[in-house]
Amino acid sequence: MKAYTITRDNLGAWLDALARDYTLIAPVREEETVSLFKPVSGFAEINLGYTNSTVSPKGWLFPQTEEMFFFSTGDGQITLADAQTPGPAVLFGLRPCDIKGILVLDPVFNGAYQDCYYQKRRQNTILVGLSCTRVERHCFCTSMGGGPTDGGGADLLLTEMDGGYGLEALTSRGEELIHRYQDYFIPDRDNRVTAAREELGKKLAGQFTRAVDTTGVKEFLDENFELPYWGELARRCLGCGICTYICPTCHCFDIFDQSPDGESGVRSRCWDSCMFSHFTRMAGGHNPRPTKKERVRNRFLHKLKYHRDRYNLDGCVGCGRCVTRCPVNIDIRQIIADLQEVARHE
Amino acid sequence: MKIQENLRETARKLLAGGEASLVIGYAPGSEVSRVVPAFISREEEVNRLVWNPLCINNLAKYLLDYRYEPGKVAVVVKGCDSRAIIRLLQDNQIIREKVIILGIPCSGLINPDLVAARLDPGAQITAATVSKQDFSLQTGEGTFTFTRDEALLEKCRDCEHHTPVIADFMLGEEIPPNDPGDPFIAVKTLEELPVEERSAYWDKQFSRCLRCYACRNVCPACTCRECVFDQAEPCWVAKANNLSENTAFHLIRAFHVAGRCVDCGECDRVCPVNIPLSLLNRKILKDIKDLFNVPTPGTSLEELPPLGTFTNSDPDEFM
Repeated sequence: MKAYTITRDNLGAWLDALARDYTLIAPVREEETVSLFKPVSGFAEINLGYTNSTVSPKGWLFPQTEEMFFFSTGDGQITLADAQTPGPAVLFGLRPCDIKGILVLDPVFNGAYQDCYYQKRRQNTILVGLSCTRVERHCFCTSMGGGPTDGGGADLLLTEMDGGYGLEALTSRGEELIHRYQDYFIPDRDNRVTAAREELGKKLAGQFTRAVDTTGVKEFLDENFELPYWGELARRCLGCGICTYICPTCHCFDIFDQSPDGESGVRSRCWDSCMFSHFTRMAGGHNPRPTKKERVRNRFLHKLKYHRDRYNLDGCVGCGRCVTRCPVNIDIRQIIADLQEVARHE
Repeated sequence: MKIQENLRETARKLLAGGEASLVIGYAPGSEVSRVVPAFISREEEVNRLVWNPLCINNLAKYLLDYRYEPGKVAVVVKGCDSRAIIRLLQDNQIIREKVIILGIPCSGLINPDLVAARLDPGAQITAATVSKQDFSLQTGEGTFTFTRDEALLEKCRDCEHHTPVIADFMLGEEIPPNDPGDPFIAVKTLEELPVEERSAYWDKQFSRCLRCYACRNVCPACTCRECVFDQAEPCWVAKANNLSENTAFHLIRAFHVAGRCVDCGECDRVCPVNIPLSLLNRKILKDIKDLFNVPTPGTSLEELPPLGTFTNSDPDEFM
């Protein structure tokens, strides 16, 4: 692993250069309490002081609405045309939990079943992580196997340190990116960058307000599908999709056609939410998850059991967004604790 | 804390006597700054019920979940939420005889983010007092005081009904209605902008809408058995997330709740990307007040929704 340092001024210049050569997606402060990942034209638009973006940055690799292909009919023929594939991009300033979120999406879209849309975007995108500098009150990444300075999964990891930033190349792709812009960087010869990152990690480790212990939860859920607990929890759920839409690991989608003239149009896919009542409604009208109880249970079993069954990965990275935004305080940290409690009494 | 004691005692009596089969109120949440909607059906559980300045959620909406259940449901409402009860009654969404309304005269709520910033997240509120000047929250670690200026929720600054407009049990002393001043200042400021700027303002807001539908699901005016936005055939508004579809979603919703929006502010509170939805709804409230000279919907059982009734004095300049 090679490390470099970069001054604040050079960081700005480098980002301006990146925005010229790539599609640069970075955190932008939309208004006081809303920050989002968006394409930017340069450093001036970027806000590196954010903690967690309001919506996770998964939307670059798995857009909320994505065109799949165009179709047209005529003379009894159907003609298809590919949708535009995005070119080389840099997803810049990803917090460690969101990088981990991408690693959770990878086996879904890029594992046994190759999703060409996700795959193209993933291959064309360089991931640049950014170590956290503070811990928000709903953060619990350390409980889910992550950490505020663990950039694993990124191509490059940036860490704020005295006089600028340290940059560690974690993959050959990251290393190539550094080479391309080498004038901006100074090689770190005495391991200062890694030391600074490790020290920051130690400092932040003590700042988490709440830890959760997932030990035994999956095994309990393996044996217990029906629990009165889900019914109780579901009573207050509003059935909105906030939790799923802001989550870095939720990945359900719906496919639909738009054809204003009935002869040509576009097939797209867009995010869908298992919390919506019609999500599992079938053509004949049957709904296998007819009430909020089945839907809430599905969401938490997906996070705590199904994803581990399928990919041996937790379906939650501890970013805390759903905890912050749920209008009725459905708090996955509390649910994990409650399930431990229910398990003790079973 | 007297209200909280009254609440628990009333709930206990209602459940013990079998008069109510369920009490919907508030209980402590997963951290000190949050309360959760609580569903209490057993007498032994009534001590979970709390009343403090963090009790924001409008619980009236939950009555819809129990409308076909046997037994009566008791629900805790503040002044603002009580308007939603009247609205649901007027649309025959709930039956008066099946609902027991536990009214709480409310002197305003506190911004939970400030509480979260100052108090240990694991603390429990043991007592709360609200005065004309400030909010005091007591926990095991002492008393924490917030001035009303810094901590009062935005929506409470324009409060029209501190005391519920309908109740079977009033759990505290009635607070006379105050003059909130002009609740439409923000609407008027926006109305004065040139049309291009207004358009750009809403474009910016709607472009970041996630279409998570929290504003709809929390809204006591949204009671359709099948929502227009969930219909696949015909597809009035596509699932595609873009400015055009998002704008259609918000404008259809605003017009759909026109004359029935009780201005409880829940849509504003729940939006994860801070779209100022109450500003949009208040624009329509203002227009309806101007056109029909009616109070805020839900203010009285006798005053029917202006767009759901007809009188000869209705303005008809477009006909």
